[in-house]
Amino acid sequence: MACNPRNAFPGTVYNNADRALDLYGDNIEVDYRGYEVTVENFIRLLTDRLGEDVPRGKRLGSDGGSNVLVYMTGHGGNEFLKFQDSEEIGSWDLADAFEQMWEKKRYNEMLFMIDTCQANTLYKHFYSPNIIATGSSEIDQSSYSHHADNDVGVAVIDRWTYYNLDFLETQVTSPTSKLTLADLFGSYDESKIHSNPGYRWDLFPGGEEKGRERLVMDFFGNVQGVEVEGVGGNETEWREDMRRLEEIIYRARARGNMTGAKKSETPVEEVIAPGRDLGKGRVEGAAKIEGVEAWGQRVLGAGALLGCALIWGGASWLESR
Amino acid sequence: MKHISCLLLSLLLGLLVSADPKYKELLNLQPLNPASLLASFNFKSNASLQSYEQQHFKYIPRSLGQILQHAKTRELHLRFSTGRWDDESWGARPWGGTKEGGTGVELWAWVEGDSDADSFARWVTLNNALSGLFCASLNFIDSTRSTRPRMTFEPASSVFNASSENLYLLHGSLPREVVCTENLTPFLKLLPCKGKAGIASLLDGHKLFDASWQSMAIDVRSVCPENGSECSIEMEQTVDMVLDVDRSKRPRDNPIPRPIPSEHLQCDQSKPYAGDEACYPSDANLGQSWTLAEIFGRPIQGSCLAEDSYGQLRDSVCINVPHEREVNLYGDAVETKNEAGTSRCFAIPASNPFELVLSHIGPQTFNKVSQPPLYASRSFTGHGQERGGVQTLLTNPSTSSSIQFVYFETLPWFMKPYLHTLTARLTTASTTSPDIIEETFYRPALDRRRGTQLELLISVPADSAVILTYDFDKAILRYTEYPPDANRGFDVAPAVIRLLPSSGNSSSNSQAPLYIRTSSLLLPLPTPDFSMPYNVIILTSTVMALAFGMIFNLLVRRFVGADEVEGWNLAALKAKARGRVAVLVDRVSGKGQKLEKTVQ
Repeated sequence: MACNPRNAFPGTVYNNADRALDLYGDNIEVDYRGYEVTVENFIRLLTDRLGEDVPRGKRLGSDGGSNVLVYMTGHGGNEFLKFQDSEEIGSWDLADAFEQMWEKKRYNEMLFMIDTCQANTLYKHFYSPNIIATGSSEIDQSSYSHHADNDVGVAVIDRWTYYNLDFLETQVTSPTSKLTLADLFGSYDESKIHSNPGYRWDLFPGGEEKGRERLVMDFFGNVQGVEVEGVGGNETEWREDMRRLEEIIYRARARGNMTGAKKSETPVEEVIAPGRDLGKGRVEGAAKIEGVEAWGQRVLGAGALLGCALIWGGASWLESR
Repeated sequence: MKHISCLLLSLLLGLLVSADPKYKELLNLQPLNPASLLASFNFKSNASLQSYEQQHFKYIPRSLGQILQHAKTRELHLRFSTGRWDDESWGARPWGGTKEGGTGVELWAWVEGDSDADSFARWVTLNNALSGLFCASLNFIDSTRSTRPRMTFEPASSVFNASSENLYLLHGSLPREVVCTENLTPFLKLLPCKGKAGIASLLDGHKLFDASWQSMAIDVRSVCPENGSECSIEMEQTVDMVLDVDRSKRPRDNPIPRPIPSEHLQCDQSKPYAGDEACYPSDANLGQSWTLAEIFGRPIQGSCLAEDSYGQLRDSVCINVPHEREVNLYGDAVETKNEAGTSRCFAIPASNPFELVLSHIGPQTFNKVSQPPLYASRSFTGHGQERGGVQTLLTNPSTSSSIQFVYFETLPWFMKPYLHTLTARLTTASTTSPDIIEETFYRPALDRRRGTQLELLISVPADSAVILTYDFDKAILRYTEYPPDANRGFDVAPAVIRLLPSSGNSSSNSQAPLYIRTSSLLLPLPTPDFSMPYNVIILTSTVMALAFGMIFNLLVRRFVGADEVEGWNLAALKAKARGRVAVLVDRVSGKGQKLEKTVQ
């Protein structure tokens, strides 16, 4: 957390003790943070199993044409990665979540990168197509941190992440960069990383040969291509589109006039029906407490006590006879 | 003639009112003491209610407007705050405390609905949508954190009547929420100039979240002018921060103070122990002079929509220092000084950067900070993991008038107060005074479904202090209900105090409400040993393995009596060995003779 009171540099995350590059930046947006970062939420995000109230910013929103990059880093071990120091995600959890994504057509190609101890075990169980996976270290190998910043008081970055970032910062200079995954993976120097990075190509159609030709910006860049169907243009088709658009505009105008006339109704918005079980958790208002000194209550209490004493006394008197 | 001039005057006034600009921004800089500076940013956008309802958005941002329309929210107040307002040295709060929230995130809104359940469903929708827009975990405001305050909040909109229009007030707070750059980014994007121009260009997350205290506020309300002209919807965005001037002036990549070399050290000679050997560092020139760029990291980048409907530039920066104090400007700005001699304002032209330099003069050139109407501090008492107590000290500093206020507290369900232990007494008296608490609104907690709500109407006599105490029990949570950092403790939302205008003074009835918030509390709950399940698994497995081994051993072993076993004597061993040798000899010699041997 960049604004944790223990951070001597509020609102800043550095990748290096020279503090040249502020990773947190000036206009960052974070979708899940704090206690929201759980294994459950992560898998729900991947598989889109979210409630209808969840806003668009907290959904992945990918489809069968999207390339998805999953980059994970943290503490982990043989076939697991820790979340929040209290729970773990396993290799099978990831594999099954990705399979569900594939079945739901939520990605076209996926690049999975992981930086943790024994990272290469995490993608061992993947079985869905079109995934390229890479990790920082083999089984029984540790992934080390790069260096520590004494003013921050902790290690600032992991080695593998550091050299990945270094490649992206120095080599990939524009959104139109033509560098491929072969260039990225070729930049890994095992003597610098202090562990052996691993790759998995067998799920990708065409295998390693085709996978290495994929551009880095296919995954790291937000490059959106426009697909034009039926090149040459279909006259009737776009006329039909225009007609439909006109209809939509006409309807919107009609609605606008209506809202202007009838203030109480806004038909643009659907009415939210009260949820099935929401009534159970509804918030009730507070009730006013009458004075504690109320004499009526005291008399009632004293009367009840006296009654009990009389009954007890009477019963014991009857018994003694 | 008189009538005509009156008419003209009223016409002119009407014009002035209708020429109310659609967007206004103002930065108010107020040095609180030599070392700290209060910067209050205020951005006000307007749109007519009709255009808003037709989804015609201009200065009211579409992203927020559509959320409010979808969740049928008529009035919204959202706060992001960190730090503590130090009212001992900083005095009264800016905006009378109406634009600040408790530590973390606080939200209250008037939501339309046919019933309680209906409005609550919309409240949940609103929270979820806002959590996406503002990058905060507002979706954690569920039924356990929502309350319906009775006396503490009143609608700021002049247009509606909450009871007759089926409007429900809901309030929720997240004291644990960290406020950071990701909350400022969407906040700036709601502004017409997106923080690129005007005073908003000074807002930088690195400086804002380095402040000693900061509060970001968004208020949306509807306003109907009394002269019957068109109703409008008004959105006000406010950022208040108290900057430590010295801290802000340090370079960003090297903010950690290093020891000053002894030759640059200035000693405070007024101390009795000052001498050649001892040096008590002087704070005489702490934060004395500064420029905008030094404090905020950059100068103001021109102005944002600063021209009013007559093409005149409006003031957008004001600084509250006496006129004796020299203020230098870089960039062509128009300066106006107020008559009281305490502040001056600047109108900034659109395109030029604007820089302001407050010069270094003696320590007396500050406006005196005003005294807050009430001091409030809240703390935990007691010890142990089972129960505890809460003690609130409410001090009325006024020597002449008593003060009446609403004290509003929401407690999480796992903190269970006992209402019969609620007492209020004057610090001067040894016994409780029954007339201090005038009214009590209370909603008890239900486990895992809702928290406690406590609203008290309290009055404190002049020049005295009241101690409010109650006891509570700590609940034990289920294993899975503990957060990842359970040993840090659980945050309890700050208490909200709304000061009521004193009834004796009729002129103060119309004044704006005043609010004060206490700091949040950190409640340590009994936490289990989280490695316990693993220990249990290991121990149980060991016990089971031992038991299984023993039983298995018992089942497969054949038991024989001691007398059934042949003795272990040398003669038998010799006989056996001799037998083996004989067999070997026979094989070698090929005689094929069979020898009888004993089986043991």
